[in-house]
Amino acid sequence: METGIKVLEGSCKGCVNCIKSCPTEALRVVDGRVKILSELCIDCGECLRSCREKALALDEDDWDLIRSHGPVVLMADPTFCAQFSHYWSPGLVRKALASLEAKDLFDQAAKAFDLAAFATARQVEEASKESLPLISVYCPAVVRLIQVRFPELLHRLVRTENPLETGTLLWRRQNGSNEGVILVTPCSAKVMLVRGPVGRGTSMMDHVVSVKRLARDLLAAGPKVDGTGTDPVGSRWLAWALRGGESRHVKAFSRKPLTTMAVSGLRNTIDLLQDLELGRLKGVDFVECRVCDLGCIGGIGNAESRFLSELRLSHQPVEWNVTESEKTELSTLYETGVWALEQPIQPRPRPSLADTLDEAMKKLKTMQAVYAELPHIDCGACGRPSCRALAEDVVRGEGEVTDCVFKLRERIAILGEEITSLSGKLPHAFHERKHAK
Amino acid sequence: MDSRYEVEFKVRGDDFLAAGEASNQIKETLIMLGVPSPISRRASVITYEAEMNLVIHSGGGILRAIITPEKLTIEAKDQGPGIPDLDLAMREGFSTASDKVREMGFGAGMGLPNIKRNSDCLQIDSLIGKGTILTATVFFHQGEGNRG
Ligand SMILES: Nc1ncnc2c1ncn2[C@@H]1O[C@H](COP(=O)(O)OP(=O)(O)OP(=O)(O)O)[C@@H](O)[C@H]1O
Ligand code: SF4
Ligand SMILES: [Mg+2]
Repeated sequence: METGIKVLEGSCKGCVNCIKSCPTEALRVVDGRVKILSELCIDCGECLRSCREKALALDEDDWDLIRSHGPVVLMADPTFCAQFSHYWSPGLVRKALASLEAKDLFDQAAKAFDLAAFATARQVEEASKESLPLISVYCPAVVRLIQVRFPELLHRLVRTENPLETGTLLWRRQNGSNEGVILVTPCSAKVMLVRGPVGRGTSMMDHVVSVKRLARDLLAAGPKVDGTGTDPVGSRWLAWALRGGESRHVKAFSRKPLTTMAVSGLRNTIDLLQDLELGRLKGVDFVECRVCDLGCIGGIGNAESRFLSELRLSHQPVEWNVTESEKTELSTLYETGVWALEQPIQPRPRPSLADTLDEAMKKLKTMQAVYAELPHIDCGACGRPSCRALAEDVVRGEGEVTDCVFKLRERIAILGEEITSLSGKLPHAFHERKHAK
Repeated sequence: MDSRYEVEFKVRGDDFLAAGEASNQIKETLIMLGVPSPISRRASVITYEAEMNLVIHSGGGILRAIITPEKLTIEAKDQGPGIPDLDLAMREGFSTASDKVREMGFGAGMGLPNIKRNSDCLQIDSLIGKGTILTATVFFHQGEGNRG
């Protein structure tokens, strides 16, 4: 299985700072290098934030190489339009991008985000009371988190495809084009929209480059653009870059009043999902979670400060009133089903300890016994995020009890004692002589 | 003989902050053992509802999960007030929960019916003034019990 994160082997010092930041305990430090257990990784990017050596990075494609092949087509995340102080609207960003010989798909994105909100509103309206609240699937890290840690909540996920994907699909249908499309991503989670999408076979997009990489190039080129006139691109989709934007958008399309809830940040997300799992959110219709602080503008792959991005976006005028003709067009598109995920989203629980229940029970008992002997201080020196994780690795055959420095010291002490007592013993020959004296 | 795994938790009465922890850990254990997700989902519902009943109605008790290769047994034992009319308690919507508890989102009277729906066998022994023992079983393989 792939992840949206790569390890820069040369930079990793094996400091174990990152392993505790991981919400699914997917990191280990083995032989002084960090290793990602891809089946557990949710691509949230927390480890990238925690690494001082910059040894963990977004696994993006080589932008310079892609560019060297000629003009490019970009499906840019909404956060991209919040990166610049002087290109403050999608229309201006479009003009600036043209100087890099880059064509944007902003119009298709605007339409796809409208469609996603429209389709989500329909699903919420039509859901039975017990199945509410439904949960947004926009943040791929949240989807993975639910697959890994909250499989009981999977049936609450909306079946709406990520609008960045749908936008690309719309464009391909319109133009019959099979030109390569580059996703401009704010995070490691969205890297996976291209590399290993959940809920569909393969992506319609071909490459992925970070917002940061592209924004830097654009800033370096610094094209002068003229900012007069009204902006030709719709603006509702930009709201999705901020926490609560999706909910707002869904409400705009709903035919009845909805109670929505939006949280951002990993901890808030986990707390909210826990509440949901315990059935504590009665009366809520739709829940939007983003693992990044303030929403996608807090993604690790952005260039701009999330606080400035927030300020900028909150000053953007947004037309929330949808015209009748827009609605008609959307409802036609809705009927085609182009907005929907191809496949149901499956659980991805951690692998069990053994293939048979009998074996697994034995291993679990051994694991408890190993754990009981460990110091329970979760120091991380063994390269595991917790003593429990070490115990688990030991029974899975992926570690030794002596990986624990305390256990190692105990062993050495025992060995030391043995050596002392051995050294006190005289060889047989001397023994005799001593007695003979 | 060896093929039995047991976990036990003490559940404190009226401790709404810790509520759900025991069922959470039982769930983790089932996942580690590779119990298929539909079964662990049913088990989660049972343990959670039984745990909440211990918290809300009984002043606390013991929640235990016993796993053998054939089945999972959840046992919730308390020395609380007991259930005077079991048939009534099993009815959807019947609840004696206080307003305070209802404000927290409990007390819909759905717990016991939910347990019933998700278990293959359910037994409740209750004595007024002495306490309640709830035993719910989920079989791992189809056909070893009738879903009631
Ligand atoms: N362990 C127990 N000790 C004493 N009474 C209990 C116990 N468990 C359940 N009851 C009684 O049975 C009633 C029904 O229980 P049930 O779990 O179905 O609903 P509830 O707990 O009131 O509400 P909900 O489970 O929907 O939050 C309770 O209101 C309570 O009077
Ligand atoms: S919140 Fe947005 S930026 Fe952060 S991981 Fe999720 S999709 Fe990516
Ligand atoms: Mg109950």
